[in-house]
Amino acid sequence: MANIIETAKGAGLFSTLLTAVEVAGLTGALESPGPFTVFAPVDDAFAALPPGTVQTLVQNPPQLARILKFHVISGAYSRSDLVDQPSWESLEGAMIPIRCAEPFEVKNTSVLSADIVCDNGIVHVINRVMLPG
Amino acid sequence: MTVLTSSAKALPPSTHPFAEVVERLEAGGSMLPDTPENLMQIIGIYKAYAVPMDFYWRDLLYIAEQVFLNPLPAFKYFPSQEYLDRPNSYQGDQAELRIWRGEAGAHPELLEFMEKGEIGKLPKLLHHLWHDRINMEFAEACMDAMLWHQGMGGRFNDYLDSEVYRQNADKAIKAYFKGNPLMLGLYKLFPEMLLEQVKKLSYVANLGLFWEVMAPVFFEMSDIYDEGGFSGVPAAMDFLVNGIFAVAGRPIYHQVFIRGECFEIIPKSEGFTWLYEAALPYVEAVFYRTAPFRGTKSYNAQAGQVPSEQSEFHYGILYADVFPVGSAGIPPTLLMQDMLHFLPPYLTELYLQHKRGEDDILVQLGITFQRSMYNVTSAVIQALRAALLFPLDDPDPEHLKANRAFFESQMDRFIRPEARLRDVQTEHYR
Amino acid sequence: MGLTALITLLSVAESSPEEPRGRLLYGLLLAADFGLTGAFLARNALLFVLAFEITLIPTTLLLAIWGGERRATAAIRYLMYGAVSGVALLAGVLALGLLNTNGFSFAYDDLAQVSLPPGSQRWIMGLLLLAFGLKMPVLPLHGWQPLAYSQASTPVAMQLSGVVSKLGAYGLLRFAVGMMGDTWAAWAPAIAVLGMVSALYGALNAIAQTDMRRLVAYSSLGHMGLLMLAISAASPLSLQGAMAQILAHGLITSLLFCLVGMIETRTGTTEIAGLSGLLNPCRGLPFTSGLFLLALMASAGVPGQAGFVAEMVIYQGSFTLYPIPTLGCLLASGLTAVYAVRLFNRVGFGRLDNALADYSRTSWQERVPALSLSMLVIVAGLWPNLLLGWSEGATASLALTHPSPSVLVAALPSAAVPQAAALLELS
Repeated sequence: MANIIETAKGAGLFSTLLTAVEVAGLTGALESPGPFTVFAPVDDAFAALPPGTVQTLVQNPPQLARILKFHVISGAYSRSDLVDQPSWESLEGAMIPIRCAEPFEVKNTSVLSADIVCDNGIVHVINRVMLPG
Repeated sequence: MTVLTSSAKALPPSTHPFAEVVERLEAGGSMLPDTPENLMQIIGIYKAYAVPMDFYWRDLLYIAEQVFLNPLPAFKYFPSQEYLDRPNSYQGDQAELRIWRGEAGAHPELLEFMEKGEIGKLPKLLHHLWHDRINMEFAEACMDAMLWHQGMGGRFNDYLDSEVYRQNADKAIKAYFKGNPLMLGLYKLFPEMLLEQVKKLSYVANLGLFWEVMAPVFFEMSDIYDEGGFSGVPAAMDFLVNGIFAVAGRPIYHQVFIRGECFEIIPKSEGFTWLYEAALPYVEAVFYRTAPFRGTKSYNAQAGQVPSEQSEFHYGILYADVFPVGSAGIPPTLLMQDMLHFLPPYLTELYLQHKRGEDDILVQLGITFQRSMYNVTSAVIQALRAALLFPLDDPDPEHLKANRAFFESQMDRFIRPEARLRDVQTEHYR
Repeated sequence: MGLTALITLLSVAESSPEEPRGRLLYGLLLAADFGLTGAFLARNALLFVLAFEITLIPTTLLLAIWGGERRATAAIRYLMYGAVSGVALLAGVLALGLLNTNGFSFAYDDLAQVSLPPGSQRWIMGLLLLAFGLKMPVLPLHGWQPLAYSQASTPVAMQLSGVVSKLGAYGLLRFAVGMMGDTWAAWAPAIAVLGMVSALYGALNAIAQTDMRRLVAYSSLGHMGLLMLAISAASPLSLQGAMAQILAHGLITSLLFCLVGMIETRTGTTEIAGLSGLLNPCRGLPFTSGLFLLALMASAGVPGQAGFVAEMVIYQGSFTLYPIPTLGCLLASGLTAVYAVRLFNRVGFGRLDNALADYSRTSWQERVPALSLSMLVIVAGLWPNLLLGWSEGATASLALTHPSPSVLVAALPSAAVPQAAALLELS
């Protein structure tokens, strides 16, 4: 199996995310054994943000890293694991609320496809960028 | 986020006391009704606010970075030419994200006022002593409000108590007072005192960086309005929302220049963002909370006339009774005096036609300012909704219900009688 | 006299141009002025009585036609009290003239030398006291006054309080003190106490009022009590003080009513609870409120204004003769400061309610009456000769016809005897 980064590269839907991860210097972390649970926003999610948002973040790696870390939970959890708890602590520190009933929603995003298993964790694909708060 | 009607009808009507406003928010509008006069008023006052704001952010950064711990800062309101020329990161040709089409240095109207003031061309010191200048005390009062009210979200305040910050500050303090045995001795005896001053200065820097963004936003809005580019108040609000998002990731930091050397008291690498560490605390502190109104009102604290919880404070601009009281803070007397100097002609004309014309122009423009701040708050609310909740045209009724709950909880804060939300819905509130 | 003319002029100026039946208003004001002038100028007692009665009619009509909601009640009450007053006066004057053992005449010069059968003195004095006491008014004959003053429209109130009430004081001076000095001296201690009670009653009631007009009405009552004290003491100094108080109080009370009227025209209310922060320069009534502050200070007797001059001289003149009533009136003066401060604190200072502050500034034209009265009040305070001095000869001679020292001595506490004797010698 591939690790999280390779899986994402292979899917072809996450070019913005991968660039962001690269700029924020988190590539190495996401290639490490982990394990991690990653909520990966698709490219459309980034495009839906108002103009200039991504640009500003990309120019400021520490701030970008903070936003990206909010999409990661330490430890590998599948959907069935996640719905056991109403909220989980992200790497950034803020909590991520999980909707326990149908449909599977994470904070204010819908999960497009869940439980993509990689070497070093599990990826769930979401349709919006999450912001802490 | 254009105005829509179809999905808003998916929910039954709201039962909130401000149902009308909630439904307007759900349709993509602002708390302020969408009338041409409202639009004219708020854009005009944004421009009048942005010119002094241009001075505020430059001087605030000057104070935070250069004046720093000067024990007798008699000239802190005289920013050096370097700071007046300092390019705003969001205007001018060199800006990476250019919000305003104008030049990067200080606004020409500001420079003209600094030279001439109200009383004519005189040396700067005389202008300062005659108080014929931009009233920086207002900016400092806003900073005080942010400093005093804690627990407003963001990591800034907690960081100021951390060990890392203490070390950074310690280095800077020692460097600043090198060769000054009196102050260093004072620092040894009372380390917390100078540390507290540095914390204050960090908030000064925070506010300066916040306003550095808002000024070009307001200037651009004024230019767009002059070209006829806004179709109404919701369009103006949308511009603000987009602006908020675009700059949300801007780093907030505090660096000090001591004898040419740069000391990073709050480095950019800490990851503090404009949205979470500057904008949201500012809105909470200055728009909602601040401190009990000074001037002609007295409070009996023992009778509970001042809330015992800071979060219950309701003395911000959204609740203010905008009569000039001559002091800094809210009601924004000093700011109103500043804005008076930079009113666009169409606003001056409007004020001369109503109430007492020139005699109470300060009150009229203060009320316009209040309306405009309701619009800014609406933009913040909509931005938060977009960031943390669901789009307005989301097909899922569960999501729409969550949106509505959010809007209603925001409107709950305006139920108390001091809130001016009801007044700004009418046009005869002037 | 001058006061009458001035106040009438100003009350006309004060009345609004859109007053309904404006010409009738001016006609009636002038008719009242006519009556008052006649009363003050008369040298014959019957003429005085005639003028006195004449004044009653236009003033009643003025009260009844323009004014507050209860003006009809006020007018009827005023008329009844005034009628009793008129009848009593007529009876008293007739008695004076007819029973005069020196010969039948009503001229003042003759009546000044009047000698009356002893038994009749008492009831004639009683009648005169009734007549003028009702007019001034003093306790317990004041029933008509608070209602009438508070229901009257501004020009009418100015005239009523400023001039018509002085008719009573003038009458007392002319008839009771001037013509029946001995009886007056005998009754004076009681009257002094009456004056004190009136002053205290007026002041205490004023403190309790919630409506500005009624407050000024009770304040006027209080000041009339002071006047009563001065007249009762009837020493040369206190009579000078009485004259000063007549002028000063006329000016000040008219000024107060004028300003209250201006405030009501602008804000629509005279309820103290409904007003606040009128001194606000942006949206309040700073000029009017400033003058109001001056007028209240004058009423309280702050030095530098006319009220102080009058009160000072009254107290100086009355203290040796009636120390307790004087002290009581001093207390009442202190209480005037209480209600003046409370009133202005609520109405002038404080925070202006923006929701209610929808009125325009007063124009210079509107301010003229109040401004001219204020100027006079201040000038008179700084230059007391404006109030005193004019009538020195007359009051001195009035005091001279004061009763024999024996009666006076009997009324005095022992310590003050030498002082009183010295006073008499001086005059």
